[in-house]
Amino acid sequence: MKVPIGWLSDFLDLPTRDPHELERILVSLGHEVESIEEFVPSFEGVIVGQVEEVGPHPAADRIRFCRVYDGSLTRDVVCGAWNFEAGAVIAYARVGSRLGIDKERPVEVGSRAIRGVVSHGMIASARELGLGDDHEGILVLDELGAAGPEDVGRPLEEVLELSDVVLDVSITPNRADCMGIRGLAREMAAYWQIPLRDVSPAATPGRSDADFDVSIEDAEACPRFVAHQIDGVRVGPSPLWMQLRLLAIGQRPISNVVDVSNYVMWELGHPIHTFDADAITDRHIIIRRATDGETLETLDGAERTLVQGDILVTDPSGPIALAGVMGGASTEVSGETTNILVEAANWHPPSILFTSHRLGLRSEASSRFERGVDPNLSALANARTVELIVATAGGVPRARVVDAYPARVTPWGIPLTAGDVTRLLGPHPSFGEGLALLHRLGFGVIRNGGSAEVTVPTFRSDVTRPADLAEEIARLHGYDRYPDLVRHGTSGKLTPVQSATRRLREVLVGAGLTEAQTLSFLGQADLDALRLPDDDPRRVGLRVKNPLRDEEAILRTTLLPGLVSAAARNVARGVKGVRLFETGRVFHPYPDRDDPRIPHQPMRLGITLAGEGVDVFAGTGLIDLLVRVTGHRLGVVQDRLPVLHPGRGATVVRDGSPIGMVGELHPGLARRFGLDGRVVVAELELDPLVSVAEDWKLDEVSAYPPLVFDLAFVTREETPAARLLDTVQASAGRHLERLELFDEFRGGAIPAGHRSLAVRVILRAMDHTLSDEEARPILRRIVAEVSSEVGAVLRGST
Amino acid sequence: MDLRRIARIVDTALERIAGASDLAELSVIDTEVVGRRSQISMARRGIGALDPSKRKDAGRAINQAIQSLEEAIEQRRVTLEIEAEDLLLEQDRVDVTLPYGRPPRGTHHLLTVTMNEVCDIFRCIGYQVAEGPELELAWYNFDALNTPPTHPSRFESDTMYVESADAETRSGADELLLRTQTSPMQARFMEKHPPPVYVVVPGRVFRTDTWDATHSPVFHQIEGLAVDSDITFGDLKGTLAYFAKEFFGEQTRTRFVPHFFPFTEPSAEMLVWFNGEWLEMLGCGMVDPNVFEAVGYDPAEVTGFAFGMGVERLAMVKHSIRDIRHFYENDLRVLGQFR
Repeated sequence: MKVPIGWLSDFLDLPTRDPHELERILVSLGHEVESIEEFVPSFEGVIVGQVEEVGPHPAADRIRFCRVYDGSLTRDVVCGAWNFEAGAVIAYARVGSRLGIDKERPVEVGSRAIRGVVSHGMIASARELGLGDDHEGILVLDELGAAGPEDVGRPLEEVLELSDVVLDVSITPNRADCMGIRGLAREMAAYWQIPLRDVSPAATPGRSDADFDVSIEDAEACPRFVAHQIDGVRVGPSPLWMQLRLLAIGQRPISNVVDVSNYVMWELGHPIHTFDADAITDRHIIIRRATDGETLETLDGAERTLVQGDILVTDPSGPIALAGVMGGASTEVSGETTNILVEAANWHPPSILFTSHRLGLRSEASSRFERGVDPNLSALANARTVELIVATAGGVPRARVVDAYPARVTPWGIPLTAGDVTRLLGPHPSFGEGLALLHRLGFGVIRNGGSAEVTVPTFRSDVTRPADLAEEIARLHGYDRYPDLVRHGTSGKLTPVQSATRRLREVLVGAGLTEAQTLSFLGQADLDALRLPDDDPRRVGLRVKNPLRDEEAILRTTLLPGLVSAAARNVARGVKGVRLFETGRVFHPYPDRDDPRIPHQPMRLGITLAGEGVDVFAGTGLIDLLVRVTGHRLGVVQDRLPVLHPGRGATVVRDGSPIGMVGELHPGLARRFGLDGRVVVAELELDPLVSVAEDWKLDEVSAYPPLVFDLAFVTREETPAARLLDTVQASAGRHLERLELFDEFRGGAIPAGHRSLAVRVILRAMDHTLSDEEARPILRRIVAEVSSEVGAVLRGST
Repeated sequence: MDLRRIARIVDTALERIAGASDLAELSVIDTEVVGRRSQISMARRGIGALDPSKRKDAGRAINQAIQSLEEAIEQRRVTLEIEAEDLLLEQDRVDVTLPYGRPPRGTHHLLTVTMNEVCDIFRCIGYQVAEGPELELAWYNFDALNTPPTHPSRFESDTMYVESADAETRSGADELLLRTQTSPMQARFMEKHPPPVYVVVPGRVFRTDTWDATHSPVFHQIEGLAVDSDITFGDLKGTLAYFAKEFFGEQTRTRFVPHFFPFTEPSAEMLVWFNGEWLEMLGCGMVDPNVFEAVGYDPAEVTGFAFGMGVERLAMVKHSIRDIRHFYENDLRVLGQFR
């Protein structure tokens, strides 16, 4: 809502015109001021001049020679316009003045010979001054009542009071009443406790001709329809003062009838529509809902196909306007129109919202109807429009105003107790003070001790409950005047899962990984690129009905495309050594375990590593790190998995159940993402990683020296090292303190298809120094078990 | 053997010891001045040939001489050892400014850091942390929050809806959508927990916004909710002003102005004075009675306040980040600056 301070002061004697003070007050009342703009004229150096003489040009028929007085000197000026005579007060663009300074190429006015006569500057039209579109003739200021001979010599912008300050106010959706300057003025009058100078359109004289019939078929769609015919109107430009106000709020002046409609909408917040009265069939207006497939040519020339929810203004021939959204072409007021019908109607807000959204036709009018205009404002708005049209375009209003008001709205009462207010706002202000504040805002108040009956004016449809009244009290009292009390809760402890999740992230960061945040969407192309088998659950993603882009049409089923793309982007930008992880939700079409009404959306941990020296072991090493952090028994089981390199991938298991995968990205897939070299990825379900393990307990450490044995086993190539280690672990007994694999060797005496794996076994007893004699049977047992379970023999023993 | 000769031997020997330039030379000197064939050793062996009355003095003098020579040698050895090690250490010098051996450095995402920081500020005054689903029912995102069925925020131009297998049976409150705010967790939390409630909810939210410097279809919010038997507007103001001071600094000034949200009444916006201007920082208000009714609380028994803030916005203001896209580009040159 653009609010020129000059316009605001029509309604009240502003105690201050300081825009920043006005801003402060509006903001404190809940009306955010987005900007304070000075309305800057698009010209410089133009003054008011008076034409002293006007005569023919010696060498041309179509232009005239004038003598223009600028307040000190009289100058020769050549002019092509014929809409003025000697004595006219005009806008004189002197030599050196500039026009169109808001445009890319301003024009500097000079002296120039026109058909042999030197013209010192020019007499300007409204369009040349950026004051509207009128280019028929020059701007005759005295005719428009905008200036007189006493103003000659003064800067034009000063005389026209063009340098107004405009506040751009953002009105919250609940405040339809503030979508007009009068509504904001009413708020400020309440704030300052000063009277509001309301508009009071003069009673209209008229003849008693036949009136319009208005039939409202759906009172919900149209609670009220006020119409008034004016005969003998002359459509032409609106007065300069009105054009200037419309320009100040960013509205282009069009004609007196259209400008008045706009002016009243901005002034009172009530949209107005005008029809060519003679174009309406049978002088009969019917308000009804559209039927599917009906069409209407709107005044922008477009053929609109209508649906059932739309509200129509029709006559017996069919639709003539799309109610509250746009007029119809067949009844549009044109330059030839003489009899017009002024409509101030009230429309069902959700229907207007529905229609304007469906057709993409959001306008100043629809934005007001969407919020809900007070139906009790319609008669005033209609009368104000008629008054201004008669004043600017002439014409005679008819005797009777048609006012169909099937759904009359009257002020409603809210019982309010002192307790209703104090339980929300605390003890201050007192109940009596609070009621006084409501009264200032236009509410009716009848107090009865600790309670009151509050009557709500119909322009405040947003106020229906005690809580709403409490807000009104707080708002006018001033939010800043309430105390600041810090409210303490009961417990701020993280849940074990929250703590574990934080710890997990910290450990990964400590290990040199950087946390990424990728989007929750994928495109079909991302999923196809993964070449997943048909039965892979990651193939089936939930689809967004209204995605912004195809790449964001599917809810992610895996974090990998986002992370790998991020890695590829970094590599492309020259970053070496990319180590990324992300924790985030993926989405699956089957029901969630905790709430079956919504789809399953578990948290996942994703990891991507790229750069020199990265291979699968960087990934399995991180899994090993997670084992130590989480305390869960995680293992990797070599596996051929989709997405991964067939020989360098593994399923990650927890307590025997798969919870994800780790490995090198399939090189073909890596290349599709634009990555060369080995890329390691891992994706794990997060819940099993951060689920609460039992509280850990300290293992006592031994004070006695250890015995260390190195054992090298010759195994077949396909035997996983993990199996060897598990077997050693299982057979070593209670004195095993630690077990390490420290060497892998092929060749030499090792037969083809085999390798040697060397493990270091560290034995230590809790309560005494372990002797070699005690160790020997342990080692024998290990060797025997490895031989029988794994089929590996001690190196050198064959 | 006269004592002067012993003294001469000692003087000569001490001179040689002092002149030893390295440990090897000192070792040779050691042998020569106190070894078996050294003059002093010879002299000791000659004591027996002396007049018995002189033996005692000569013996003491020789022993003293030997002792002093051995001490001198030991001292010199220590000195030379130190010198030798110093030399070695000098040769072992490296340029320690070479950037070798730096442990890999990772960083948390700034959104995580910011969410943790905000949650921790509220945890310090006894607020729990809870999280909720991102793919949500329209009921929790809108209906339970007193948002009318015709409210414009429900349009597809604001909210992303999601197809589902049972789409034809879903309509209105059952429709699936990507939550546009963390507020649905207000309703979910109150459904599960009786009052009092003190909770903050960080999380990801979604809007049909095209990318620009300040808009992203994916962003993050932190919701807060306090419900008890005696909460008033002053509690809301004080708690959020406390938060602003903790987050932006002790001197931070705040201002509360009226605003509108469907799920709070009265509603407010908190402005923070930062770098010379008032910035809109979060929306808040007293929980609307209709919200309490939707979750089965009795609005006559409890009051409460709720607030919601944008995590990106907090981080952008605090760290002078001008483009929201930095949060989602995952450019390591940017992520690496997060601390």
